[in-house]
Amino acid sequence: MNILIVDDEPSIIAALRPVLQAQGHSVATSATAREALAQAGASAFDLVLLDLGLPDADGIEIIAKLKRLTSAVIVLSARHQESEKVRALDEGADDYVNKPFGIEELMARLRAAQRRLDQQHDDRHASFASKELQVDFTRRSVIRLGEEVKLSPKEFELLEVLCRNAGQVVTQRKLLIAGWNDPAADGQYLRSYIALLRQKLEYDSSEPEMILTEPGVGYRLAVTF
Amino acid sequence: MSSEKPSIPSTGRGLRSSIVAALIFAAVTAGTAGAQGIDRPITAVLIYLTGVTVIGALSGLRTGVAAALAASVIYNFFLSGTAFRFGVTSADELVPLLAFNLSAVLTGALAGRLKDSERAARLAEAHSGFLLRVSDKLQQAIRTDEVARFAREAFPAEGVSDLEIFVARGSQLYALGGEGEPVPPLEALMSSGGSDISHRGFRVFELKGSSGQLGMVKFLIQGKADAGDNLPDLQGVANLLSMAVDRCILLERLSETRALQRSEELKSAIISSVSHDLRTPLTAIEAAASSLRSFPDSLPVEHKDTLLLTIEEQCRRLNQYTSNLLDMGRIQAGISPSQFDDVDVLDIVGVVLGSIRLMFPEQRIEKRFALTSAIVRANPAMLEQAIFNIVENALLHGRSLEPLEISIHAEGKYCTIAITDQGPGIAKDDQPHVFDRFYRSEQPANRRGSGLGLYIADGFIRAFGGAMALVSPVDDAGGTRMIIRLPLTQEPAIELTA
Repeated sequence: MNILIVDDEPSIIAALRPVLQAQGHSVATSATAREALAQAGASAFDLVLLDLGLPDADGIEIIAKLKRLTSAVIVLSARHQESEKVRALDEGADDYVNKPFGIEELMARLRAAQRRLDQQHDDRHASFASKELQVDFTRRSVIRLGEEVKLSPKEFELLEVLCRNAGQVVTQRKLLIAGWNDPAADGQYLRSYIALLRQKLEYDSSEPEMILTEPGVGYRLAVTF
Repeated sequence: MSSEKPSIPSTGRGLRSSIVAALIFAAVTAGTAGAQGIDRPITAVLIYLTGVTVIGALSGLRTGVAAALAASVIYNFFLSGTAFRFGVTSADELVPLLAFNLSAVLTGALAGRLKDSERAARLAEAHSGFLLRVSDKLQQAIRTDEVARFAREAFPAEGVSDLEIFVARGSQLYALGGEGEPVPPLEALMSSGGSDISHRGFRVFELKGSSGQLGMVKFLIQGKADAGDNLPDLQGVANLLSMAVDRCILLERLSETRALQRSEELKSAIISSVSHDLRTPLTAIEAAASSLRSFPDSLPVEHKDTLLLTIEEQCRRLNQYTSNLLDMGRIQAGISPSQFDDVDVLDIVGVVLGSIRLMFPEQRIEKRFALTSAIVRANPAMLEQAIFNIVENALLHGRSLEPLEISIHAEGKYCTIAITDQGPGIAKDDQPHVFDRFYRSEQPANRRGSGLGLYIADGFIRAFGGAMALVSPVDDAGGTRMIIRLPLTQEPAIELTA
């Protein structure tokens, strides 16, 4: 992937650049919002890693513009700033990584973003498959560990959104739109349907390993391939 | 203390009572003339006497005596047998006349004196009642600024429309409850007290406290400024204000000193904590990293792995420590309910268990969940942190591989989360302090950690309107149970129709 790192902290860039390059990505960097927009406009990037604390602007303000210029934006954010994360995701960011992060975590998010980009390029993409779960979006069938699972239409709609964004966080707002066509719908409905899905799909629904909660943000489908 | 205001007799009232006295006088004069006309002189005299007595009783000494004198003159000159002649013809006429005049003046005077002392007593009672009421109001003031607010609640009353208090700070005068800008002394004296110009004058009194001059108070007087007799005891009110201002200044100084002392204590606690909890992991990281760089070839592979693992672990420790400091700051700054959302406790406990399983893969955990969902108002990430801190604390300090029990159940309108370890328990001496900031047990085995985890958990849970409790030992074998209680929101059950 062509990756643009936007961060004003040289030590972060110094740590990330060699690892990303070693993974076969090409890396460009910028230290300000203005520079980032200029670079993104000049050449096509697949993904932007965006730090929100930039010297010349709040990173959240440039997410929408960056999204028009590049395919995916992943935000680097501090723990405990859930409302900031939600705002960034609502602005169009695809995912976030909590600072400080281990490199494995960052790589997993990059892979998830890559997977989604690949799917977008492939219109016929009509199924999802991980180690435990196979979902066919056209036939609307769900197979968990080789066994068919019956889902209600609403359960399926929610699972489909999670699967299409597998490995990436999906905000409560997005799920409410997917299931009820109304971002202001009662979150209690969503919690109830997630609980139902977990009962059908998880080994132990009180300790979910597949449909994970991101407290204050949304849900994430964990993927193991 | 009743809130009704006994009124002090005023000039308006005096006028009314003069009219009443005049009316009575006219009526009894007419009565006397009538009685005299039908030749009943004794009845005539008695009517006049009664009238004079009533006037004295109603209107006081001066009016009583005046009525008596007027009655004697009129009776003598116009009504007695020798009409239109001022004089007596015989001793027989003289004695009853003298007796009448004397008793008229005496009864008028006595009744009047009685009335006057009653009036004086009522005035005194009203004044002292007013002082008591002002003093009651002032008792409520804790801060200097409140003195003016509470004192003003007693006005307008008793001919005083309002008051202004100016307190000296340094060489400047400040209006209490004002903008906080210094007021030039002359302006303080002359200002008209806002837009209200119904008052016609003012009285200024000095406020004196235990340490000298405090400032001044200005009473704005309603109506005629010289209606001095009927005004309440303004010097008395000023003395009360002096005491209240003095008391508040002393209280403020005391609380400033205490706050300063507490912030000094906190500062030194933070410094000692930072120097220990930041330096220790930094030392380990630097030692490990420099070893790896200095001996790239001579270190055995497994040793290198250990060093790298040390670096990662200590980084996590640093991260957790800085998070703790930030959380402490959030609690101190106050957590606003605007950040709260409906959260399912079971969902959050599931997230915590996910992290705990990664950190303590060997640990067995028994779950006893009596509910399938428990919705509370909370910040989801903070609730996760609070529960995580408690579970982690139980596992680190409980030091037991025996199963940790986590139970969730409802008690009335509350959700109770209980985390029970089978460790050695918490020493009785430590128990009152486990939720204190930077508190670490003196027991060497329990000195790990920054002393912030349970403080943060407790602070967050309180912010959500909940409470934490601790039971240790749980039974004869020891163990500790940490209990979180959170108010459940009254969510209607939602029927699921797909």
